[in-house]
Amino acid sequence: MMRGTSSVGSDAAAVAKSEAAEVAVKGNGWTGLIPIAIGILIALVLHFSLPAPQRSYNTQILQIIGIVIVLAVSLNIVNGMTGQFSIGHAGFMAVGGYTAASITYYGSMLLWGSTVKHGGFLGSGDWLFLGSCLAGGLVAAIAGYVVGLPSLRLRGDYLAIVTLGFGEIIRVVLQQTGPLIEDIEALQSVGLKQLVPPPLGGSLGFSGIPKYTNLFWVYSILAITLVVAYRLKSSSAGRSMISVREDEIAAQAMGVNIARQKVTAFVVAAFFAGVAGGLFAHSTGTVSPKDAGFQQSFDYVIMTVLGGRGSISGVTLAAVFLTVLPELLRDFEQYRLIVYALLLIIMMLVRPQGLLGIHEVWEMFNRRRRKAETSGSDVSPAEVGS
Amino acid sequence: MKSSTEGLAAKSGLIAGGAASGPEALLDVREIGISFGGLKAVQKFSLRLPRAGLYGLIGPNGAGKTTVFNLLTGVYQPDSGEIQLGSQRLGQGKPHEITAAGIARTFQNIRLFPSLSVLDNVRLAGQLHNRHGLLSTVIRSRGYRREEELLRQRSLELLQIFELQDRADELASNLSYGHQRKLEIIRALATNPKVLLLDEPAAGLNPQEKFALAESIRQIRDRFQVAVLLIEHDMPLVMKICERITVLEYGITISEGTPANVQNDPRVIAAYLGAGLEDA
Ligand SMILES: Nc1ncnc2c1ncn2[C@@H]1O[C@H](COP(=O)(O)OP(=O)(O)OP(=O)(O)O)[C@@H](O)[C@H]1O
Ligand SMILES: [Mg+2]
Repeated sequence: MMRGTSSVGSDAAAVAKSEAAEVAVKGNGWTGLIPIAIGILIALVLHFSLPAPQRSYNTQILQIIGIVIVLAVSLNIVNGMTGQFSIGHAGFMAVGGYTAASITYYGSMLLWGSTVKHGGFLGSGDWLFLGSCLAGGLVAAIAGYVVGLPSLRLRGDYLAIVTLGFGEIIRVVLQQTGPLIEDIEALQSVGLKQLVPPPLGGSLGFSGIPKYTNLFWVYSILAITLVVAYRLKSSSAGRSMISVREDEIAAQAMGVNIARQKVTAFVVAAFFAGVAGGLFAHSTGTVSPKDAGFQQSFDYVIMTVLGGRGSISGVTLAAVFLTVLPELLRDFEQYRLIVYALLLIIMMLVRPQGLLGIHEVWEMFNRRRRKAETSGSDVSPAEVGS
Repeated sequence: MKSSTEGLAAKSGLIAGGAASGPEALLDVREIGISFGGLKAVQKFSLRLPRAGLYGLIGPNGAGKTTVFNLLTGVYQPDSGEIQLGSQRLGQGKPHEITAAGIARTFQNIRLFPSLSVLDNVRLAGQLHNRHGLLSTVIRSRGYRREEELLRQRSLELLQIFELQDRADELASNLSYGHQRKLEIIRALATNPKVLLLDEPAAGLNPQEKFALAESIRQIRDRFQVAVLLIEHDMPLVMKICERITVLEYGITISEGTPANVQNDPRVIAAYLGAGLEDA
């Protein structure tokens, strides 16, 4: 301690002032895309080696798990990394789902005369679908921006109430939409009356959406989501978000624009939730107002809390667990919420930081090893006094 | 929001490049004040801190010293007065804009990011002039990777200067108290400031550690060519290293001058009831 404090080495000025010369980095401009390419490859293998979701219950579950992970991991950017508390994530999903559904539903009608799935694997229908999911993400991101703004003034409980309100508003607004236009003839002779309010199915929900979602799309998008989330977390951008969670005053004093970090977190999270909404709508063929509701949002909040606030792998594990569990306990459906509540209570008592805290699975192993290597030499005699 | 940050940054860049130095003060504070409800916490506070100067700010508990820092760093907006850094007006800037313009601080109550590593605490502060946005972050463009690597190297070098590089991967909350105080200073330096505000950096240290700290504050000023404003209750330390000292009491500046002058000022002696000043 003593020695440390007093010595400011002679190279200090050099460090502070010199514009450092070129720093060597490995790889070229494309290296960064490798993990995503690998993820897409895995998605391809899954898609062609497993039976289609329409024919296999297990494939269906696998598909749902993928979508749920996208939702939980994206929520974790807001709740875990940035330390805000959003319980309206399902609202963003619904916004994305409805946007994507209306594009493929009415788009297919206009382009191909019916809402039947068009083209084969990577055919024109698939691209319309992919575009609709991206559009869903973008519209959700805009909603995320709007919902993120209150987070600049509100904290904790108050922000939670605003996000809860957002989800509920989306739900109610969707209930007030008009009935779907069923076929191309009706669509061609449509009048203003049928377009206001927009024909999105009202309280019955939006049904008859072409089922384009498959394992390839779900796991490709999941791969992108995981890579993006991890890269955010381990970058300057993610550090800024985490600093907001840790201490807003210190973060600002270190030059972090906390307003921008909060809104960015909301926008990024909402984008992925919107894309997941598109996947969801085209997997079951229906999306309904209740999908925007509080109950759905709550599921994702539980996953982020159980997994560990900020841990991508922890939240992924929690998402898998909490999606598979109800399937295994199908006969006890009515007890689901009780089990969730119990899980939460136990977690808060036993491990309040969540399964993995802020760490990733692989970091846990590293830590243990390092601890074992350096134990004992951790505290130098000089600092015992301070 | 974005454009104003960039504006500030651009301006500060101009100052750094131009020949703004000279006899005038780097940090020029003119009669700033703030009150909380009826309490006039700071009144008509003025300060002219030259480039690479080492000045002190002292006063009894509750005198308004930390409040001055909060005014200088944009945590509070002054009710009156002006703050100028180089040729740049700072009065109404947000804290992060003021940090970007070149004023960094430490906190009286340590405010590290406890669940970030020591290295990440430094990196967070060092990244404030980074240019790469979200898109280059997620595709890991070459430019982004170069910038991150440069940041990592610089942060490690900074830790090395203060002999904390061995603790780089540890959580900040696992450091000893003395090391945490030190990391606060390193973190502030990582923002590459022109002015460094230290709020009671010696609080809680033992006499030897205080002596070492005094040395290292002087060295920081010399090596990094940064102007330092130091709040400290330890009179001998302040008298020893500061070139000029401002004394606050109940938010009012009761004395200003060289250590010798301040020390013999009857108003200062009265404020401190004579205690602790004789032996300085
Ligand atoms: N946000 C605030 N709201 C109301 N009063 C405040 C606020 N901040 C500071 N004060 C008051 O202003 C006065 C000066 O406080 P300040 O923290 O600046 O004192 P200080 O000189 O740093 O004291 P110390 O040596 O104990 O750190 C105190 O009376 C304090 O209670
Ligand atoms: Mg104080």
